[in-house]
Amino acid sequence: MDMSEETPQSEYILRPMNCELNQLSMPDGSAMLMQGNTAVIAGIYGPVEAKLQKMIYDKASVEVSYSPIKGPTKVDDRMTEMYIKETCEAAIIVTFHPATAICINVQELEDSGGMLACTINAACLALINAGIPMKFTIAAINCMIQKDSEDIILDPDNIQLQEAKAEFTFAFDSMDKNVICCYTTGCFTETEFLKTMDRCKQASQYVFDFYRNLVKKYANVI
Amino acid sequence: MEVSIGDVVMPGDTVKDITTITKKETIILGPGLRREADTVYAYKAGVLKKTEPAVYYVDSYQKRYVPNRGEHVVGIVTQKGGDIFKVDIGASEQASLSYLAFEGATKKNRPDIQVGDLVFAKLLVASKDMEPELVCVDSHGKEKKLGILSSEGMLFTCSLSLIRKILNHNSPLFNMLARNQAFEVAAGMNGRVWVKARTIQETIAIATAILAAEYAPLSDIKKLCSDIEKTLLLTQSGNMD
Repeated sequence: MDMSEETPQSEYILRPMNCELNQLSMPDGSAMLMQGNTAVIAGIYGPVEAKLQKMIYDKASVEVSYSPIKGPTKVDDRMTEMYIKETCEAAIIVTFHPATAICINVQELEDSGGMLACTINAACLALINAGIPMKFTIAAINCMIQKDSEDIILDPDNIQLQEAKAEFTFAFDSMDKNVICCYTTGCFTETEFLKTMDRCKQASQYVFDFYRNLVKKYANVI
Repeated sequence: MEVSIGDVVMPGDTVKDITTITKKETIILGPGLRREADTVYAYKAGVLKKTEPAVYYVDSYQKRYVPNRGEHVVGIVTQKGGDIFKVDIGASEQASLSYLAFEGATKKNRPDIQVGDLVFAKLLVASKDMEPELVCVDSHGKEKKLGILSSEGMLFTCSLSLIRKILNHNSPLFNMLARNQAFEVAAGMNGRVWVKARTIQETIAIATAILAAEYAPLSDIKKLCSDIEKTLLLTQSGNMD
């Protein structure tokens, strides 16, 4: 595990991101994303025919299923699903495909910190790959406040998280960099909260640049 | 972020060139672009393109088909009943095809179509709020190239951008292949391609050529076709021995 990120000048730097799009043949769009050692794979089906109970006559319904690496889906995983659903629903132009369903399936591959941020980013990349109409793209950033030093660490890994006083996950939109999703655990003050949010907002640009470079790479095929 | 023609766009980017144009011509925003007040936004990731005089669109990679009026599609008949057939065209909803929408069909003389048959049809109605409707005749009641596809052919699926690429008038793929092989092909805008050649080997070779064209630049297509022809000749001579 790389601990060199504790050096002060690399505070703004996230763990290295790796992504492969369209790895799966069955879904309409898919993305395999690695942020450091945290890895997930996301697949999108859509717009497909909606089940009668879930059909909304004037907009597309977004369905998310998140599978952990082992065992059945637990309450915590249901919460992750809800976070992905609400976040993606904010980005997708749901009125473009009324009475249909957009299914997002996310499979956890390895968790070494920042799982929620990684799943949201993977879902967003898969949505881009599937060609689902979106108002903007989303970048989620995970960060923490260290117990003793009160330092803010961006995109911490498992070992760093053991010394966390509080952990934050923020998702931003690509247009105005507004917060669309926020998940926190632990104790913190209001100033600390605003400070971490600001730091994450700056870091989100790195993720948006990563998205654009990724699309540039495969755009020459079109 | 602001983008201009030829750039890679991401959802949420604003297109600046459109807003400054003050010509009399009507500007058409194609797929991938939407207007909100005075600003034009992209809603898909891809390459921003413009065709004269003023048609703007985003060329993007996509696998799922969204029906558009007037497009030709390859569909699979899934249901037969009453006056209509239900046809799977790969969209979010099944399309309907009236049994009267075939050449020479009357109430007494029904077309012979079974569940599982392939049809090459045109979308007469395609709207996001309504069920898509297919026809197998043009406005003169003639079938032309539409209708049932023979079961001797082979069906395969590919991405929608590949279909657009091979159906483009500038694409040399089919002309190159047709120089040495005789084949029939029906490429639907829904990403389904039906191919039939003289032998099974040739059919597979043509299907491979079409799929390989996705990642080949225009300049390489000539080499690709000759490579496939060579391999085909080798396998055929191998069969004769």
